[in-house]
Amino acid sequence: MSAVHRAPAPLKLGVGLALILGLAALPAERAWWGLWALPLLVLVAFLARLSIVGLLRRLALAVPFLLGVVSLAWFRPHGLEIALGLLIKASLSLFTLQILASTTPISDIVRTLRRMHVPEVLCDAIALLARYSTVLADEALRMRRARAGRTLRASRVHWWRVLGNSVGLLFVRTVSRAERIQVAMRSRGGA
Amino acid sequence: MHIPDGFLSARVALGYAALSSLGIGVACYRLRSESDRGQSALLGVSAAFVFAAQMVNFPVVAGTSGHLVGSALAAALLGLPGALIVMTAVLIVQCLVFADGGVFALGANVFNLGLVGCVVGYCCYRLLCGRAPSSTRRVAAVAFAGWCATLAGALSCASQLALSGTARLPVVLPALLGVHALIGLGEAVISALVVATVLRFRPELLERAANGGLEARAPASAVLAGLGLSVAVAALLGPLAYAAPDGFAHVMQSLGLRASAQPSPLAPLSEYGIPGVVSGVLATVLAGCFGTLLLFGLCWLLARALVPRPARASDAEAPRVAVESSG
Repeated sequence: MSAVHRAPAPLKLGVGLALILGLAALPAERAWWGLWALPLLVLVAFLARLSIVGLLRRLALAVPFLLGVVSLAWFRPHGLEIALGLLIKASLSLFTLQILASTTPISDIVRTLRRMHVPEVLCDAIALLARYSTVLADEALRMRRARAGRTLRASRVHWWRVLGNSVGLLFVRTVSRAERIQVAMRSRGGA
Repeated sequence: MHIPDGFLSARVALGYAALSSLGIGVACYRLRSESDRGQSALLGVSAAFVFAAQMVNFPVVAGTSGHLVGSALAAALLGLPGALIVMTAVLIVQCLVFADGGVFALGANVFNLGLVGCVVGYCCYRLLCGRAPSSTRRVAAVAFAGWCATLAGALSCASQLALSGTARLPVVLPALLGVHALIGLGEAVISALVVATVLRFRPELLERAANGGLEARAPASAVLAGLGLSVAVAALLGPLAYAAPDGFAHVMQSLGLRASAQPSPLAPLSEYGIPGVVSGVLATVLAGCFGTLLLFGLCWLLARALVPRPARASDAEAPRVAVESSG
């Protein structure tokens, strides 16, 4: 836990959002001004002891969409300039968001949202989503393993069918899990 | 289709954030007023389900892959307000935990994938279902709704990019719609399979979801509703008749092929236009209408293939057994 991890979540969210807002407000021709923020971001990432390789790898995941939109921007007057500007703005914003996301636990985010008077239903949904996404991912993995144990191999049509079937079954299991959770919550005096 | 930060201008991002918060506010209000708060666990765990289902990738042409969005599916399974809350929760977590989609563009993303996807998906689904739908009709309806929702989301995404001045509409609209017409097929197939499975094990879940939203004005028949919807889709495609040649010409110009390529972009259109219809717009609309109707027919066939016969076995079982035993 570094100092960046321990910093209050509203502060981090505020600073990150302000930086991204500033980047968005830059006109495309001046986008390289945004590069002044890069040393600051690298410093924060260093203080938070994040691995630069990991950050770059996750940045690479978003590259197809970035390049797609950038190449569409190309077909305009001064296209190259605008496309480069967009690329700089988008990558810097993404870098900021990644640092923010990897230093802020979801529980802090939910607490901040509650303090901002975001509707309770939505906050509950986010909190439960954060808690149960790994549980459901494990359940999906178990189902896939069980299926692999029973089926020898699948043709392409069969593959779609198996996929849809298991997602459907996952929903059925999700609902019965939700019913159990609801009963448990109610018996402990919850909603 | 998650728009990252940096592509939307400040005005567009803030405007769509305002629109989305309005929609979420209405959804929260409806949920609070209609249910006894007994749904919070269902919504939260369903959000986790949609989150997990979005990890399912399927191949689209040429090495790219698409993944399920699930807004139409969620709308069919949970009702409109619930689906909107679920999609919003998923998008917020994807943005703030996995840096997928921008935080400043969050409003726009919630608008495209949540608001537009759920509303379009839900309306298509309810319109096609009518009042007392059979299993086949439900499965066909959710498949078609999934396709429409994907396309509508792409349309809204393209218009946001164009409004921000990131790309020109004639370029970005055909590109996004073209890719998402294919991704929508995957979405349709997976949604149909999921609903068919749910119908087999817990059919009452789909009944319950239907009670939690707008009451459907049951149209005369599924065919009529399909026709109406395809006309609506075709009306959306209308501008493409102008846009596509323009965009094409522009690509050609920027590649320096202006001189030789100038007359050709218009030629195929007049050749493939339907005889007797002079206007290119009308021809595109008719072609779009035909394509959508074809897709609707395919959805119906898919549903026929997916829903097992015993669904209506109660009255058909006895005679069939008799025939088989005599033959």
